[in-house]
Amino acid sequence: TALILTSYYILSKHFYLPANYKNVQCTPVCKQRQHAKSNKTRTSFCHACFVTHGILIFCRLIKGHEARNYDYTIYHPLAEISTWMGQMVSENPDVVTLVDYGSTYENRTISLLKIGLKSDVTKKAVWMDCGIHAREWISPAFCQYFVKEILRTYKTDSKVEELLKNLDFYITPVLNVDGYLYTWKDNTTRLWRKTRSPGTDGCDCIGTDLNRNFEANWGMVGVSQNCCSNVYPGFKALSEAEARSVVDFVEPRKNDIVCFFTIHSYGQLILFPYGHPNVTAPNYNELAEISQAAAKAIKAVHGMTYTVGSFAEALYPAAGSSMDWARLIGIPFAFTFELRDEGSFELPENQILPTCEETYAGVHSVITYVHNKIFYSAAITASATLWTTLLATWFSCTFFS
Amino acid sequence: AHTVLYITGLQFVLKLTPHTPAASPSVPGQEDIQAAMPVEELDPSHYPATRAAKVAEHFINTRYGSPFAWFGSSGVKKAGLEVRAKLHFTLKEMTRNQDMGLCSAEVLFHRADERKPPQVQCTCSGAFQVNTSAEEEDLYQRLRNATSLLSGSDIPNSVGHIDPEMAPFWHLGGVASSFIMLRESNESTLLNMAHIDNFTQMETKDAQLMFQYDILLHDMVSQEILKWKLLLSWSPDGGVKVLEAEWDPKCRSCERAHLTVTTGIAAEQEMKGDNNNV
Repeated sequence: TALILTSYYILSKHFYLPANYKNVQCTPVCKQRQHAKSNKTRTSFCHACFVTHGILIFCRLIKGHEARNYDYTIYHPLAEISTWMGQMVSENPDVVTLVDYGSTYENRTISLLKIGLKSDVTKKAVWMDCGIHAREWISPAFCQYFVKEILRTYKTDSKVEELLKNLDFYITPVLNVDGYLYTWKDNTTRLWRKTRSPGTDGCDCIGTDLNRNFEANWGMVGVSQNCCSNVYPGFKALSEAEARSVVDFVEPRKNDIVCFFTIHSYGQLILFPYGHPNVTAPNYNELAEISQAAAKAIKAVHGMTYTVGSFAEALYPAAGSSMDWARLIGIPFAFTFELRDEGSFELPENQILPTCEETYAGVHSVITYVHNKIFYSAAITASATLWTTLLATWFSCTFFS
Repeated sequence: AHTVLYITGLQFVLKLTPHTPAASPSVPGQEDIQAAMPVEELDPSHYPATRAAKVAEHFINTRYGSPFAWFGSSGVKKAGLEVRAKLHFTLKEMTRNQDMGLCSAEVLFHRADERKPPQVQCTCSGAFQVNTSAEEEDLYQRLRNATSLLSGSDIPNSVGHIDPEMAPFWHLGGVASSFIMLRESNESTLLNMAHIDNFTQMETKDAQLMFQYDILLHDMVSQEILKWKLLLSWSPDGGVKVLEAEWDPKCRSCERAHLTVTTGIAAEQEMKGDNNNV
């Protein structure tokens, strides 16, 4: 026992070991962190995994635990999600990297998982953020499920493999980290929505609505300038560290990011730009078609109806959303998904799995469309040109020689 | 028999009648224009239709709601708007996942005075019958004969769980909330009951059971959580009645003192708080 405890202590200094001790697992974890700005990858102690693996297997035998198994059918507190992110990296080091790309008002790290097959050239990418609004717990649950699902299937499903080959996925399981943590405090804080930054100018309520804080017709509609309001857009655009973190990461990559998802609840809606009622996206019709197809894919799973429309038309006019900003800087396909149910933020845990399954189908349908549009229409054009040329050549040879 | 109802699948009704042209709710003076024009067709996936549907839902719950059945909604099929919205919708009973047939409703929003509650007329076709009298009688007798008063709290809990014994009281809270939500609704709201902080059974001398509820409502448009204290009565014969309703201001810097309204019947009293910051 002393040997185990000593090993565990030493390992915890260098390895990303679970913070949640009621589920102690003893799988070797290698830390691979990529610093967002310097792009350097630091691989720590992975070579030592084999050496320590023996000790850890012994540990596991003593404890009698199963191999590490994350439960995707319950809601997880922040610490468990952080541990899980490290686990995703350690179990899939070839395709998953952890990127710390910002921090919150209360100085917590905002991280994403970058998932994709390695490539020598810059790849196109898909962005997904969950948990912009703290009380929408099904949203982070979906991001975790999505990651799990693509990692589970890419080795056996050639379509998913192709997606990971051609695209990188940037998945942020919890964007509003401070807010999410606050909703776990007790049953009076469960329905918090905003960030936890203080009010300004003598207004003594806390928090800004992150989804009104982006530079997209900021402050113009669907907001309240009372800092106590749940749709307070901040004292200025990008007043919130969390919003700036997104912008600092996405903006430099805007020519590579082709698809932008932001996941929310509730309402069962698939929304596309814009939230501002007087702005129409140039690809409105295409966005509507993609969304309709996604709604159809969702319905095929468990029969649930998701309503489709632009944000302003189907929900309410609102400016400053992350989706609007993404579209405005040129990311062509941007969507807000509002998940189950139709009346409550406190979705029962027995609905987590069916919600994730149907949402996965919807998101997958969108990604497939976007992927095929980028990677196949060029090919189709090329081969069409080739055939036309061949036929023309044959024709002229046959009839004019 | 009483049930708790949600709207599913709205379908089309259009009638050509003179009306005030539909414009954004905040356009002043619009209501003065009396033009003979056809009813404006509403996109069923756009919020004017879904909000009107939600109001019809609250109305139906106030008429037919009970602790033992709850209907769910799924998508407007079609809608038309003058000052009033005319809707056809399918009704679904949620606890049994049962289709209840077709209803048609008219929801009239008073544009000139947003504090006047919407007027709703609604008729439902034959299949609309949920026999819950056995369960209601059973619950009623259990509570009448119990030696102590019942109470509950934090429904659902943070992970969405509701104890099966608490479920009828969740539904009862929902039905009682519908009285409030019906009164509080206008074209710029979309109200749902979000949470029951607690409920307590009160002593009564008559046949009605009485409960005090602390309820949280959610308005989708302002995204606010609205705290309401309700005193309600229920019996299988008497149905659900809201006796007193009181709104708690949400934050310390809210100017408005809380208002008290007595009786469940629509009163001329001003009772609406500053719910809409949009």
